[in-house]
Amino acid sequence: MFYPTAGQFKTSYQADHALFPVRQDAILLGVIAVLAFVVFPLTANEFTFRALLIPVLIYSLAALGLNILTGYAGQLSLGTGAFMGVGAYACYKLVSIFPEMNIVVAIALSGFFSAAIGVIFGLPSLRIKGFYLAIATLAAQFFLVWLFQKWGWLYNYNASGAIQVPNIDLFGITVAGPRATAVAQYYFVLCTVCVITLFAINITRGRIGRMWKAVRDMDIAAELVGINLMRAKLTAFFVSSYIVGIAGALFVFLWRGAAEANLFDIPLSFRVLFIAIIGGLGSVLGNYLGAILIVALPVIISTVPEAFGLPIGSATVEHLNVMIIGALIITFLIVEPHGLARFWAVIREKFILWPFPH
Amino acid sequence: MKTLLKTAILSSALALGAGFAGPAAAQDDSIYIPNLSYRTGPFAATGTPLMNGQRDYITLLNERDGGLNGVKLVYDECETGYNTEKGVECYEKTKANAVVTQPWSTGITLQVLPKSNVDEIPILAPGYGFSPMADGKVFQWAYNPPSSYWDGASMILNNLSDGNLDNLKGKKIALLHLDHPFGKEPIPLLEALAAKHGFTFLPIPVGLTEMQNQSAQWLQIRRERPDFVVMWGWGAMNAGAITEAVKTKYPMDQFVGVWWSGHDGDLKLVGEAGKGYRSISWSVPNSESPLMQDIKKHVVDAGKSLINQGEGEFDSVFYQRGLMISAILVEGIKEAQEQFDVRAPSPEQLRWGLENINLDEARLKELGAEGMLVPFKTSCADHTGHGGGWMLQWDGAKFVKASDLLMPDRTEIEPLEAAKAKEYADANAPWPINEECSM
Repeated sequence: MFYPTAGQFKTSYQADHALFPVRQDAILLGVIAVLAFVVFPLTANEFTFRALLIPVLIYSLAALGLNILTGYAGQLSLGTGAFMGVGAYACYKLVSIFPEMNIVVAIALSGFFSAAIGVIFGLPSLRIKGFYLAIATLAAQFFLVWLFQKWGWLYNYNASGAIQVPNIDLFGITVAGPRATAVAQYYFVLCTVCVITLFAINITRGRIGRMWKAVRDMDIAAELVGINLMRAKLTAFFVSSYIVGIAGALFVFLWRGAAEANLFDIPLSFRVLFIAIIGGLGSVLGNYLGAILIVALPVIISTVPEAFGLPIGSATVEHLNVMIIGALIITFLIVEPHGLARFWAVIREKFILWPFPH
Repeated sequence: MKTLLKTAILSSALALGAGFAGPAAAQDDSIYIPNLSYRTGPFAATGTPLMNGQRDYITLLNERDGGLNGVKLVYDECETGYNTEKGVECYEKTKANAVVTQPWSTGITLQVLPKSNVDEIPILAPGYGFSPMADGKVFQWAYNPPSSYWDGASMILNNLSDGNLDNLKGKKIALLHLDHPFGKEPIPLLEALAAKHGFTFLPIPVGLTEMQNQSAQWLQIRRERPDFVVMWGWGAMNAGAITEAVKTKYPMDQFVGVWWSGHDGDLKLVGEAGKGYRSISWSVPNSESPLMQDIKKHVVDAGKSLINQGEGEFDSVFYQRGLMISAILVEGIKEAQEQFDVRAPSPEQLRWGLENINLDEARLKELGAEGMLVPFKTSCADHTGHGGGWMLQWDGAKFVKASDLLMPDRTEIEPLEAAKAKEYADANAPWPINEECSM
C-alpha cells in the first residue's frame, strides 16, 4: 500500500549498497527527521522535552552502544550503567579541570575514558563466553559504582557526594546546567544522537560489523575463516563503551543536571539491556522503539488519568503503570520474540506485498 | 496482527495528544499545591503517613474554613517513589501552575535547587534538603524550616554531651547513614566537630541495596564498640537498623536517630525491646490538641482521609508531622496573601511569605497546635528559622517527649554553612546573591 517497490531498479553496485535501497524508507526517515527537528521543537512544552524527548534519545543512544556489543558482537554485558557513569564522571572532571574546554570536545573525549575501561573489562571475554562473561561485566558494574562513591576526587569532594553540572555555553548558547533551555538541550542531544547513529549504522554494515556478526554467530568458525577474535571482541567493547560513555555524559550534562553514584547502579544497566532486548538485538532501529516503550510510555500513561479527569491517586497510577508496561513487554515479546525492530520489519514486509500476500 | 496494529496506532496517537496537551490552566480562585510524594517503593512505609498528614491538613482547611481566606487550596500528588529521575519528571510536570515545590527527597532537592533561580518557584523542604539552604542570601528560593540537618546533628551531640561537647573527648560516635545525599548531609559538620572537640567520628554507610540486611554494618559496630550510634536512616533502613540493634543487643539508650528515623511503625516491630531509643524531632504528636480533634471530626470521621486507622496512624509522629509541614506552608501562603492583598499569591509573592513566617507559641496556639511544633521565625537571610527540637523517646509502645527544647550550637554551624553556600554558588556560577538581606 505504502511501499510499492516495483519499478525501483538498481543499476549499479553503489545503488544496491545505498543506505536506503527502498525509496519509501528514505521518505519515512525524512518525515521522522522533520518531526524531530522542526515539529517537536515548535509544539512541545518543557515537560515534553525534559520527560519524554531528551530521555528517549539518551536511552536510545545507551542501548545502541550496548546493542553493538551484545546484539552485533554477541558479548553479553551487564555493566552498561557503570560505563555510562565512567563517561559522566570523566566529562565532569574534564569540565572542572579545563573550564574553557568546549562541551562537545569534553563529551567526545569522555567517551574515550569509558572505552578504555570497557576494553579492560572486556579482556575476560577472550576466554569466557555467554553467562560467564555477563558475570565478569557485573563485577565491573559493582566495582565502578563503588569507586564512584569512594573516590572523592571524582566528585570534587562535594559534601553530598553528587556531581553538579555547571552552566556551560556553546557558541553563546547555554546548553548545560540550570540555565540551559530545554530546546537547546534537545537540539544538542538530537544532533549528537544523529551523528552517532549514522556512524553506528555504517560501522555495522561494513567490514568491522561483518566481523562482529561472524564472531557472534559462531566464534570458532569465524576464527577458522581468519578473523582475529581478540581484535573483533575488543573493538566491539571499545566502540560499544565509547557510545555508552557518551550517552552517560549526555545523561548527566544534558538531562539530569546532577547525579549521585547510585544512579549508575545495576537498575540502570538492566533498563538499558531491556531496551536493547525489547527493541531487538542486532538492530539500530530497535533501540529507538525500545526506548519509546520503556522510557516514554510510562510517562505518557501517567498523564492519561489527569488528561481525562479520572479521579485516580498518583500512587495507584504508578502501580497501574508498572502493570501495563509489564503486560505490554510480555505481549510484544510473545507476538514477536525478536523484538520491536523485527515487528516493524514484518509490518513493512506486509506493506510491500500488499495487496497480493502469498 | 491487524487489530494489534490498529490498537498500537490508536494508542500512540492518543498518547501523543496527551503528551503535548500540557497541564490544564490554573483557576483564579484556587492555589495549586503539588507534592512530589512517594507512596510506592522502598521508602513508602515512612512516606505514606507524611503524605497523608500533608493531605489531611489541606483537606481540613478546605472542609472547615472553606479554604484559606476563602481561596480553595488544591492539593495534588505526583508519585516519585523516592526516585530522583521520577522526581525531576514530576517537577517539570507540576511546575507550570505550582506556587511551591515540595521535593520530598534530598536527592530531588539537589536536582531542582539549581533550577530554582531560573524557574522562580520556591522550594519548601521542611527538615530536609541541603543544610546550607539556611543561607537565604545565596539560596533565595529554597527553605528548610524549622531545623536543618546540621542543626539536628548539633542538637543530638548537645544532648549526648549534656550541653558541653568537650565532655565527648575520647568517646567514639558512629554515624549509621544511608549512602545517599540525605545520609551524607551531617558528615561535614560531624567531622568538623570531632576534630575540634576530640571525639572519634566513624561514618558507617548503608547502601541502598543493603538497607534491609545490615549485618555487616552491625558487625562493625560490635567490633568498634562506639559509645553512641547516631542514625541518619530513612524508609526500610530504619526498621533494618532497629531490628539489628535489638539482635546484637546494642544498648538502646545509646542509639539516637534524626527526625526521619523516629517512625512509630519501625519501633513497633520490636516493641518493648526498643525501649530507650531516642530520635530528635521538631514536632511532637498530641492527639488531644484542638487541631487534632478538628482533623478527627472534619477529615477522618468524615471519611476523607487515607490513613490506616486500625494501625494507629492517627497518633503517629509522622502523620502529625505531615500536618505540621502543611501548616508551615499554609502559614507562608497566608503571609503572602495578607502582605500583597491577593487571593492567590504568585510564587514570587509566596517567596516573601515563606521569608516572613512567624510561627511563635501564640500563633501555634491559635492554630490549635500548641507544643506540636517548635516555634520559629524565618527572615530574608535565615531560611531555616533554627527552631531547635525535642528528644522523643520510645517507651515500648509510643514516642514520648523526653527533653526540654534543645537548641543547635549555631556558632559552630554558621561558618560552615557560609563556606558551603559560597562553594555551591561558585560551582554553579553565575549564581545570583541577594545582597539586600541583612543578617
